[in-house]
Amino acid sequence: MIRYIIKRVMSAIPLLFGLLTFTFFIIRLAPGDPMSLYIQADVDPMYAENLRNTLGLNDALPLQYVKWVKGMLTGELGMSFSKHADVSRILADTIPNTLLLTVFALFFNFLIGIALGVTTALKRGSATDHIVNVSSLFVYSMPEFWLGLMLILGVSLQLDLLPASGMHSPLAKYLSFPEYVWDVLQHMVLPVFVLGVASAAATGRYMRGSLLEVVNQDYVRTARAKGLSEFLVIGKHALRNALIPIITLLGLSLPFLLGGAVIVETVFAWPGMGKLTVDAIFARDYPLIIACTLVSGVMVIAGNLLADILYAIVDPRIRYD
Amino acid sequence: MSPRILFVAVLCCGLFVSCGKKSGEKDPMSETAVVALSGDADNFNPVVSNSSTSSDIQGNIYPAMFDVSFDLREGKLKFEPALVLRAEFQNNGKDVVLHLRDDVRWEDGMLVTPEDIKFSYALYGNPAVASPRANYVESMIKTDGRFDVDKSIEIIDDSTMVFHFTKQYPLQLFHLNLSPIPKHIYKNADLASLRSNPANERPVGAGPFKLEEWVRQQEIVLARNAKCALPYPAKLERVVFRIITEPTTRLTELKKGEIDVMRPVYPDDVKDIQEQNPDIKLLTLPPRSYEYIGWMNIDIDEYHSSGKEVIKPHPLFGDRRVRQALTYAIDRKNIMEQELGSFGELAVTDFSPIFRWAIKHDLIPYPFDPEKSRQLLRSAGWSDSNGDGILDKGGKKFEFTLHYNIGNKRREYVATMVQKSLKDVGIKVNLQSVEPVVLYQNIEDKLYDAFIAGFSVGLAIDPASRWGEVDKPFNTVAFQHRRITELLKLGLHVKREREAGPFWKEIQSILHQEQPCTFMYWVKDIVGLNRRLKGANPNVLGVTNRMWDWMIGDPNTYVTY
Repeated sequence: MIRYIIKRVMSAIPLLFGLLTFTFFIIRLAPGDPMSLYIQADVDPMYAENLRNTLGLNDALPLQYVKWVKGMLTGELGMSFSKHADVSRILADTIPNTLLLTVFALFFNFLIGIALGVTTALKRGSATDHIVNVSSLFVYSMPEFWLGLMLILGVSLQLDLLPASGMHSPLAKYLSFPEYVWDVLQHMVLPVFVLGVASAAATGRYMRGSLLEVVNQDYVRTARAKGLSEFLVIGKHALRNALIPIITLLGLSLPFLLGGAVIVETVFAWPGMGKLTVDAIFARDYPLIIACTLVSGVMVIAGNLLADILYAIVDPRIRYD
Repeated sequence: MSPRILFVAVLCCGLFVSCGKKSGEKDPMSETAVVALSGDADNFNPVVSNSSTSSDIQGNIYPAMFDVSFDLREGKLKFEPALVLRAEFQNNGKDVVLHLRDDVRWEDGMLVTPEDIKFSYALYGNPAVASPRANYVESMIKTDGRFDVDKSIEIIDDSTMVFHFTKQYPLQLFHLNLSPIPKHIYKNADLASLRSNPANERPVGAGPFKLEEWVRQQEIVLARNAKCALPYPAKLERVVFRIITEPTTRLTELKKGEIDVMRPVYPDDVKDIQEQNPDIKLLTLPPRSYEYIGWMNIDIDEYHSSGKEVIKPHPLFGDRRVRQALTYAIDRKNIMEQELGSFGELAVTDFSPIFRWAIKHDLIPYPFDPEKSRQLLRSAGWSDSNGDGILDKGGKKFEFTLHYNIGNKRREYVATMVQKSLKDVGIKVNLQSVEPVVLYQNIEDKLYDAFIAGFSVGLAIDPASRWGEVDKPFNTVAFQHRRITELLKLGLHVKREREAGPFWKEIQSILHQEQPCTFMYWVKDIVGLNRRLKGANPNVLGVTNRMWDWMIGDPNTYVTY
């Protein structure tokens, strides 16, 4: 298994490098001069030219590429054009915010999704099954943007139950630690819900289908025939196999952990990676765009690898050696 | 769960939340105003910062040379003492002697000296720094075409310095109002990397506020600078700037009372706020930005293929009668009322109504008159010779593409209305939405025949950047007029601003006659203020102008804005 992991990690390096190289060229080919955003057009062009020289934008593209590769190999991600700060520091500031939001959303997604899937599978054809199925479809088809705004207007503005935006209240640093934690938790409820609820509906549908397939198999019938309780039959025998497709989903969801969620972050003013990436693209902030791509790329590869490892753990028939 | 366990659980939760709260401690929010912003700051060094958020905040952190205000009755800037106690003009106005306060100190205790000011101006004008405000030193002394700080700025003593200009002109004091930064902090800074200097994130100022905390993409906290020796110390303990991009979320926070200041409030939301939120006061700011439809005046194919040498009239829009016809054909009043309600003002030219003394009031906006439009097009030789509904001339159809920025609902509406209106007079318009960065760059590079854009005017009249030479980036429609060139020279070289009035009025008459573009309307920004915030006076200089006067009080007490 260890050898398999090392092999996968090694094979991921050229893949990642190829992805970043592709991004490097594609963003430079895109129209739009970064300098037009940082120096007003009526300032003597000499000033913009100097800034271009300083940032290395006047170098020939191959030279820019060589310099970038050299920087990457030494762990130097560069300086953000738009934020005037070291890219690695910007990422270090943003990644924890994103993780706080996405980890909870992922938990919410799988916890609620699996629970709904199991419930509806066990009560197949009942009123509960139909209600949950229709509601899941309804929630799944709802745009995040709209749902977010509706919750802000309903739960926050009309009912005044939860805060509408931000990670915490202004001047939260003057709160005691428990108060601060409570404040952040309150701010998390709506964005976590919006981010997780649609995926939970989808996870629930997958789980239901998967469990229904498993419960009709011979070994489950055997378990029941042995006189095991229904809880043990489902919990110990059926669920373990039914979870295998869900693990694929989990693996595929991992990139989202650090990729962030642009829409939810924008609506709820949550300072995460998604918004950072989009802002960087609009600002033609080349170093920051590459760094955000690097983070997403690493997560996609790590997610797939983790899914493969989890397969082996859940399904003893799978061996990678 | 037994009732006893439930009771203990609730008690624990209560204790968890309330422990650490000191009784009798004053809630810091009672002395704090909260402002919602749509974007973050880039840094807090006025020499290199570029974002409007940075500008708003720096004005309250660094010592201002002058306390600037805009007198709406007179339509001009006023310069009151701040760091500069008195300014004297000498040598026919080419030299400005500044008498400075000698008791203003940076936050770290060092005195603010003429050396700091000279050092800062050296940075503003240094090409290696590439300051976005480099054009402020444009009229100071140059050597070999470059700003010469030693010849431009002379230090007489600890509180007196002289700025030497190449000419006297109305904007001199405005150009002397760049914020100084502390020399002792930046003297060893690498100029090429000044933008990313760590000191930019921990500014040492001398203004009424100081930076307490900056959490990127989240909030900026300013605290009162108790040591401020300027004549305007802050009255409020703190001001928090929160970054909230989504307008609906910002509005919700304003309605909930979580933020005190929001700009802009959209016209569509005004009625709802007025009816349901008595705690919110809405203010309309005098207009500084207008929207226009640009018609390219020159043949851009010839212009670009000849290396910007050949200037010929544009095949469609090169004729003044055609440009007038286009303005007559568009129902600008209806479009404005649909989009802005009463928060717009029809634009006659690009001279902002805030400069009352310079406005030629007898110019009447072009009315919506499709018949007059058809008549003008006919007189310019355009007719529908083949009966296909589209005008043609010499075998060429009157058809063009109108570019506008994607995602801007107002401009999408304008584009659709223009397409419809011009179809009625026999002109075929194709619409093309473009990503904003690309759109503005292409407009400045003169790559479009027709486009919808906006323009914000400065705080002093300066039409030279807009209507000067064809190759100037802000002369986006490449309009050239001999008389305007003469008038610009005359208007920009007067000694006192008012003396330029007749020249500016004549330029307006020419623009009105020539219609280099169709001026649509001026946009009046709406600001929402929570009534608990007293002393706020959002004006043409910005929402945070004179933030030192802000106070928190009883929302029910009467206050005039």
